[in-house]
Formats: sequence, C-alpha cells, structure tokens
Amino acid sequence: MSAIEDLADVERVLAGDISAFEGIVRRRQGPLINMAYRFCNDRGRAEEMTQEAFLRAYRALASWRKDAAFSTWLFAVAANLYRSELKRMPAQNVALEDIAELMDTRSYHADFETEERDRAIRRAVMALPPKYRDAMILYYFHEMDVPAASKSLGVPEGTVKARFFRGREILRSKLPQLLEGPRLREA
Amino acid sequence: MRDELDRIISEQDEIMPSSGFVSSVMEAVRQESAAPKPIPFPWMRALPVFAALGLVLTMVIAGLVQVTRMPATAAQTWTLPPVVASAVHALAQANAGWIAFALLLTLLSTVFSIRLAGGKR
Repeated sequence: MSAIEDLADVERVLAGDISAFEGIVRRRQGPLINMAYRFCNDRGRAEEMTQEAFLRAYRALASWRKDAAFSTWLFAVAANLYRSELKRMPAQNVALEDIAELMDTRSYHADFETEERDRAIRRAVMALPPKYRDAMILYYFHEMDVPAASKSLGVPEGTVKARFFRGREILRSKLPQLLEGPRLREA
Repeated sequence: MRDELDRIISEQDEIMPSSGFVSSVMEAVRQESAAPKPIPFPWMRALPVFAALGLVLTMVIAGLVQVTRMPATAAQTWTLPPVVASAVHALAQANAGWIAFALLLTLLSTVFSIRLAGGKR
C-alpha cells in the first residue's frame, strides 16, 4: 500500500506538485529518523540529518529508476548521507578500549546494571571502524535482513555479511565480558 | 540463531519525530524548489575558444618536439613553418591565448565552487 502511495506521490512531485512530497515525508519520517539515530545517537542531529536526507531525495527524485522499491532507494540515499555526515563530523564516541575499561571497573558481574551494559555495548558498536559499524547498524536497522542492508549500503550481500561478522569479532575481542556474562554466552 | 548480542543491538530505543518535523522538511523543500537554478557553464560559447586552446597547445607541443629532434646547429636557425607561423600570428592578434587562459580559469573556479557546494550538501 505504501509503495503504491509512494509511487503516486513521486509522480505528482515530478509533475510539479511539490505538496505531494509531504505524503512521502509523513510515511517515511519515522524509519529515516530512527536510522539516523542509530548512526549518531543524538536526537537533534538525527532530525537534521533526516531533513537533509529528504532534501537530497527530493533533488534526486527523477533519478529513481523504479526498478527497486521507492523505500529501498530512499534508505540508500539516506544511509549514504548519514555515513558521509559522520565522516565529516563524527559522533561523540568513546574508544572501544575505554568502554572495555569502564565495564571492568564497574564490577560487571556484581552490580553493573543490565541497561547500562546494553548501552555500553551499543556505544561500542558506534566506536567500531566505519565499515564494520555501518554494516552492523544497517543489518540491525533492517531487522537482521542482509539483502536489505546490502541495498542500503550499496555493497554485495557477501560484503555485508563479512563486515558484520568482523564487527562482531572485534566487539568480542575488545569486550571479552560479552562472552563471560551468562546472558551473553553464544547460543 | 539470534543471540544476546543481537537482542541488545536490535532493541535500540525508537524515537518519534518532533511535531514540527514534517512542516520543517516541507519548508526546506519549498525553499529548494523556489531557489533559482544554478547558472550552467556556457559550454557552447566556450567551445570555439577551447578548440583554439587545443590548437595552440598542439602547435606548442609539436614545435617543442621538432626542436628536440633537431641537431644543435639547426636548432639555432630554426623557424616555425609558414602555416604554423601565420596561425600563431592570427591567434596572437586575437589574444586567443589570454581568452583561453581566462576561460580555463573560469572553468576551474566553477568546478571548484561546484565541488565545494556539493561537499556541503
């Protein structure tokens, strides 16, 4: 249903009816802002980046070739922008080593709150080298769907898988507590 | 198989767009569509001068090659072939070199500004 509405709105915008773009923004704002938030962990910045992503999509609307779903194209445009924005102005990250140290000093097994630990692990994902970070963010954003992540990232599925597994390996090597905690043991 | 690490990273907090977000985006879109289109580089007008520039460069290179191939004694008395000499003279009269240089500078500055503007987007 959304795909049909997207197509109708795109055609109206291309025919000169700018107001039709509002329908696209309303339908896609949630996913795009949440994707941006996963990249920067900052609500205000996520909205700014999403606005820029919509603007970029508006400018490039005529280049959507309709061989893929509009949402796929839009996610790829947005992911590309978010990645280059992070390159231009990196998010406030902590180094992986510092996160590992933080988890050690907080006596993880005793009273390190689950919520805090989860947050630290998410921050560790943000601190990964960009190509592994991007693959992991998009893989989880697309609910562990490798083909969707591959389309957003613009690289083959095999590359996404390789980067994703390498990212996990780095996390496990830098944060050995991940394997020690009973809740984080491999299934 | 989904493990604990998958669960932690998947279950990130969802955020809701602020109430004025759609109107803010649409305002930006309207501004974008109302903004005048950037002036394109006048390729058609510049074409003859670029052709002249190419010709001058070719002649200079050909001349240099000819000079390097000449024996040292012949090089001292070397002159341009009559056709090339008259072409160079005509181009010099029309200040083609300066025009070509000015156009080249314009092209470079245009490309540079487009790159700068593109990088900001």
